[in-house]
Amino acid sequence: MLNSVEEVRSGPFRSVLIIVVAILLQVAVANRLPLPGSVTPDLVMLTVVALALFKGETVGMVAGFFAGLATDLVPPADHTIGMYALVYCVVGYLSGLVSPEMDRSQSLPFVAVAIGALVGNLAYALVGVMLGDPRADWSIVSRTVPLAVLYNVLASPFVVWAVLRLSQRNERLEPRGGLSVPGFSARLGRQQR
Amino acid sequence: MRDTRRTRLVLGVLLVTSLLLITVDHQGGENSPLRGLRGLGATVFGPLERVASGVVRPVGNTFDALRDAPGQRRRAEDLQRENQRLREQLRSNTIDKDRAAQLERLLGSAGLGGYKIVAANVISAGQGYEDTVTIDAGTLSGVKPEMTVMTGEGLVGRITRAGPATATVLLATDASSTVGARLEDSKEIGVIKGEGRRGLGVGATPLRLQLFSADAPLAVGQRVVTLGSKGDRPYVPGVPIGTVDRIEKTPGSLTRTALIRPYVMFTRLDVVGVVVAPPQRDPHDAVLPPQPAASPSGS
Repeated sequence: MLNSVEEVRSGPFRSVLIIVVAILLQVAVANRLPLPGSVTPDLVMLTVVALALFKGETVGMVAGFFAGLATDLVPPADHTIGMYALVYCVVGYLSGLVSPEMDRSQSLPFVAVAIGALVGNLAYALVGVMLGDPRADWSIVSRTVPLAVLYNVLASPFVVWAVLRLSQRNERLEPRGGLSVPGFSARLGRQQR
Repeated sequence: MRDTRRTRLVLGVLLVTSLLLITVDHQGGENSPLRGLRGLGATVFGPLERVASGVVRPVGNTFDALRDAPGQRRRAEDLQRENQRLREQLRSNTIDKDRAAQLERLLGSAGLGGYKIVAANVISAGQGYEDTVTIDAGTLSGVKPEMTVMTGEGLVGRITRAGPATATVLLATDASSTVGARLEDSKEIGVIKGEGRRGLGVGATPLRLQLFSADAPLAVGQRVVTLGSKGDRPYVPGVPIGTVDRIEKTPGSLTRTALIRPYVMFTRLDVVGVVVAPPQRDPHDAVLPPQPAASPSGS
C-alpha cells in the first residue's frame, strides 16, 4: 500500500496507455467478434481489475473511473454517461482492496479477476435496471449476464497476462512468458516488503 | 494502510462525480448538456478507431487463415511460414473481393429503390446492452443524424450521432429501436422492435413485428419492408427488413406479433450505406430480393 502511492506518481502514463489500448481493442475487435449469443467479453473491465490487483485500490479506482468515463464517451457508446465510470470505479476499488493478498497463491489473481468481472457485470445491469433503461430489461439481463461472465472468465487470463507484461516492462524480473506467474509473485513479494 | 482516509476521500469524490454524471445525463435525455462530451469522444476516439480497425483487419485475417487451415501447422516451420504468408495474401484478396461484392449489391439495391447513398465501413461496435456500431463516414461526407443505414441485403438501422469523420448507428436489433414496417403485398402495418442481445435465449430472432390490426393475415415466410417515416427521417420507405419466421399466438391481445428473421447479418456488418437522399417516390416492394431464391438471411 505504501508503494502504491509511489506507483501512482511513477507510472500513470503506462496505465493510461494500457487503458487506451484496451478500449480500442474492445470497440474495434472484441465487440465485433461474432460470438454465440452476440455477447462480448469486457476487456476494459478486466484491464481495470488487473491493474487494481497489481497496484492497489487507489490506482484501481482512479483508473476505473477514467477508463469508465472514456468507455462512456467513445463512439458508438449510447447509454447514460457515467454508468461505466461508476461501475468500473467501484470494481477497481474493490479489486484493489484484495491486492495485498495476491501473493498467497499463484492462481489467486485469475480467480480475483473472474470475481471482479462477475461483480462488474451485475453492477452494470443493476444500474441499468435502476435507471429504467429499456435495454437493461430484466429478461435481457437474465439471459445475457451469465454468458457475459463466462466470456469474461475465459478472456481474463490473457488480459491479466498482457497487463502484467505491459505494466512492468522496466522491471528486472521480466515474466518469462506463459502465464508469467513467477514474475508476478516476485513482484508482489517486493511490494509487500 | 496509511492513507486510507485520503483513499476514501478520492473514492467518494469519484463516486459522487459519476452519480452526478448519470443523473444529469439521464434527466437531460436527448438534449442533455453532456451530449457535447460525446462529440468530444467522437473527435478524439473516432480517428483512433479508424486507425485501430485498419491495423486490426490484417490481424483478423491472420487468425482466420490459421483457423481455416489447422493442418498446416504440423508442417515444417519455414514451409508453414511461407504458406501462412501466401494464404494471408490470398485471404486479403478474397476479403477485398468480398467487400467489392458487398458494395456492388449495396449499389444495386440503392439503384432499385432510388436511394442516394454514401458507402461506409463499420469500424467498431458497442458493448454492454447497446447494439450500436461506428462507421467511418461523418458530417464531412454528408452524413447527418436520423438517416437510414442499409446494406445490399436490407435495413441496418439509423444514424444517432454524427462526428466529423465517424458516425454512430443504432442497429434495428437494439432493444430501444422501433421501426415502422409494412407487410409485402398488403397494407398491413406495424412496428419492428429490436430484441436486444440474444444471450442464452434459444431459437430467438433479433427482431419482433407487432401488427396494429389483431386480425391481419399473417403467414410464415412473408416479407417485411420499412414503411417510411414522416419526411423520410429517420427511415426511408421500401427497405427490406426480413421474413416472418414464427407467429406468436397471444389470445386476447390487441396486436399480432411475429418473430422476424432479418436479411442482414447484424453480427457481421462490414460495408454499409447511409441513405443521404430519400427516393423520389416510394419503391414499395421493388427492392425485395426475388422470392424463390434462397434469401441471404441472417443469423
